[in-house]
Amino acid sequence: MPSRTARALALLLLILPLAAISHAEWKPTKPVEIIVHTGPGGGSDVLARAIAVMLEREKLIPVRVQVINKPGGNGAVAAAAIAERKDDPHTIGLITSVWIAGPLTTSEAQVTVHDLKPIAQLMKEPAVFAVRADSPFKSLKEFIDAAKAKPGALKQSGGSVTSRDNIIRLSLQHATGAKWAFVSFQGGGERLAALLGGHVDIMVIEPQEAGEQVRAGKLRVLAQLTDHRLAGYAEVPTLREAGFDVTPTPQIRGVVAPPQMPADAVAYWEGLFAKLRETASWKKYVHDNQLEESFLPGEGLRKSMVQIEKELRQQYQLAGIKTVR
Amino acid sequence: MDILDGLLQGFQVALTASNLTMCVIGVVLGTIIGVLPGLGPPATIAMLLPLTFKLDPTGAMIMLAGIYYGAKYGGSTTSILLNVPGESSSVVTCIDGYRMALKGRAGPALGMAAIASFIAGTFGVVALMLVAPPLAKLSLAFSAPEYFALMVLGLAMVVLLSGESLVKALLAMLVGLWIASMGTDLFSATSRFTFGQVQLLGGIDFVIVAIGVFAVGEVLGNMEPVKPAEMLPVPKGLKNLMPTWEDMRRCRFAFVNGSVIGFLIGVLPGAGSTIASFISYGIEKAVSRHPEEFGQGAIEGVAAPEGANNAETGGALVPLILLGALVLWGFKPGPLFIQDSPQLFWGLVASMYIGNVLLLILNLPLVAVFAQLLRMPSYAMYPLILGVSIVGVYTASSSMFQLGLLAVFGLLGYAMRKLDYPTAPLVLGLVLGDPMEKALRQSLMMSQGDLSILFRPIPSVLLGIAALLLMIPLFRKFNALRVQMIDREA
Repeated sequence: MPSRTARALALLLLILPLAAISHAEWKPTKPVEIIVHTGPGGGSDVLARAIAVMLEREKLIPVRVQVINKPGGNGAVAAAAIAERKDDPHTIGLITSVWIAGPLTTSEAQVTVHDLKPIAQLMKEPAVFAVRADSPFKSLKEFIDAAKAKPGALKQSGGSVTSRDNIIRLSLQHATGAKWAFVSFQGGGERLAALLGGHVDIMVIEPQEAGEQVRAGKLRVLAQLTDHRLAGYAEVPTLREAGFDVTPTPQIRGVVAPPQMPADAVAYWEGLFAKLRETASWKKYVHDNQLEESFLPGEGLRKSMVQIEKELRQQYQLAGIKTVR
Repeated sequence: MDILDGLLQGFQVALTASNLTMCVIGVVLGTIIGVLPGLGPPATIAMLLPLTFKLDPTGAMIMLAGIYYGAKYGGSTTSILLNVPGESSSVVTCIDGYRMALKGRAGPALGMAAIASFIAGTFGVVALMLVAPPLAKLSLAFSAPEYFALMVLGLAMVVLLSGESLVKALLAMLVGLWIASMGTDLFSATSRFTFGQVQLLGGIDFVIVAIGVFAVGEVLGNMEPVKPAEMLPVPKGLKNLMPTWEDMRRCRFAFVNGSVIGFLIGVLPGAGSTIASFISYGIEKAVSRHPEEFGQGAIEGVAAPEGANNAETGGALVPLILLGALVLWGFKPGPLFIQDSPQLFWGLVASMYIGNVLLLILNLPLVAVFAQLLRMPSYAMYPLILGVSIVGVYTASSSMFQLGLLAVFGLLGYAMRKLDYPTAPLVLGLVLGDPMEKALRQSLMMSQGDLSILFRPIPSVLLGIAALLLMIPLFRKFNALRVQMIDREA
């Protein structure tokens, strides 16, 4: 008759493999924090809170999801905050292309997005070129021709010089030899007000926001900065279709994690976002906001970020914007 | 009759039991976060956002709006009682509100803040209803050169905020302008005065500076003399805590000024309630028959800015709707909002009438409660002010670095007090410096470097008024000289 110890051992041997399997399936056990680089109400903040609601509604996550705002320095403060969490599996961060662009011109940033662990690319944010509805320009070509005829007289409202708005302007100027001015404004509302008030001639704007203004008869969309036409703008050509040989550097949104996050937790998060994008909530969100779905797992996001950085560096050099790394 | 129909329909929406409840929840929450420094409407609304996905949109919007304007009622409380601005738009209220409290008139100051908020807040809603569409077009005519002139006009008010010495006031303002220039420059993406610190890339939040130089500086200054514990005089009875008829009479113009200036500046998408309150305060002092009482506890100095920041709410809805920028409230209604969902729009407008009445009813009795706070002896009061300041800054930033900044600006405020430098001009420079610089550079980018863009009609008028303001000290000198001459002749 086998001894008690032997029986217990046998039982243990039976259970151990099971335990090992369940151990590999890491799951969050306390509230999860999503770190974003904008204040409450900013783009990433709104998306992070929407993701939190969707994860909860679709019952994909067993814990609460909190959003932590670490604004400042074009993502530098938030990146540093994520790096400080070292191997914490309960922290993730929501990045945008700003996190890649920022450190290129900011020497203060000690941590860059490349030091963090990539989890997944979620989407590309499309954009469109829009003019006032009563503008003489019916196509992007007409605008470019006018800009060629009178260099510097036409104006575009946008964000900082390092923003996507300006980068696409620089590429178009480089490709066509046209010249027009770029006026920076802090907020999207101010950029739009400058266009609607007739103080500038053109702007790069989010499709959803432009759609509302088009419907109100205030704006006309000339071209879209996308690879393929968006559903809401089936009539509007992409830049390439409009006859311009430029590839807009995509504006991406993605998820990253602290640098030393254990592999099982990384796998969990990758899987979670892969599941999230299949849900009805996510599909509705992408549709309502006219976003371009572009899901890539961790390694894909890393390549994407390297490529974007390369393109931005080239554009900055062409434009004479000083890079620090 | 469209407006009347709409409004009637709106009241039907706003007076349903569920929407009325949402309005009450909104204004109560708003008052609470207004009282708490550091916690502002944007953070609160963001926190509540997941909740609003589950609510009916009208009710959610009514509640979120209630938080937004309710916070402006509550914001004056800590400004008056503790010299700690509860919201950025209540910074100006510290100047005279806290002096009133020191003179035992905290009750009337708090009461007047609520009354002025009510009058101007209601005016803002009426104006939103009646003149929003034409004003919306006008607001688009306002661009960078106009904003630049407006900011210059605001800065010219330094002559009104100075004490004995204009030179000291100007120096303080320059320091404010310098601090405003810190951080990443929008136009060139270069860092300015960051001293290699990542935390300074975003610039310095002016609320931290205001809490530092006003509240912390004041506490440090008051701790110095070794005095027996003293208590501030607080009269008993609700009647004695309310503003008198004489107070109301004195504030007649402040109500009008706060309402109109607040609404007009609110309509401009690039200004905001803090600037509205500063400008309204400056105007009040400029036209006052007894400007010398400002800064010493003049009740108009509370009524005008508190009115302005509430009237701004009504005005601010104009560009929000026009530009479809209501994202902050979790909605993106777009420019066709009023046509698409009249029920939602008119329900919101009607709820703002109701909300303002609720806030008045809620805030007046609270005056009696809050005024009792001042019965505390100073050995309890000063730690409380410091505690509220530290918690406020940490709530807003959750960063130890920002607490360090608070200490630095507290010491700066203390030094300024010792050397008799006025602190209000520093905050003025800090608030206006960044928008002024941006507007100037945008103007010159638009005109390709041609300065004549700054002399279009509207900027010319604004710059002209600014020039007149700057001449006030000269007039005063001239007057004093004339009086001397007359005396000598006599």
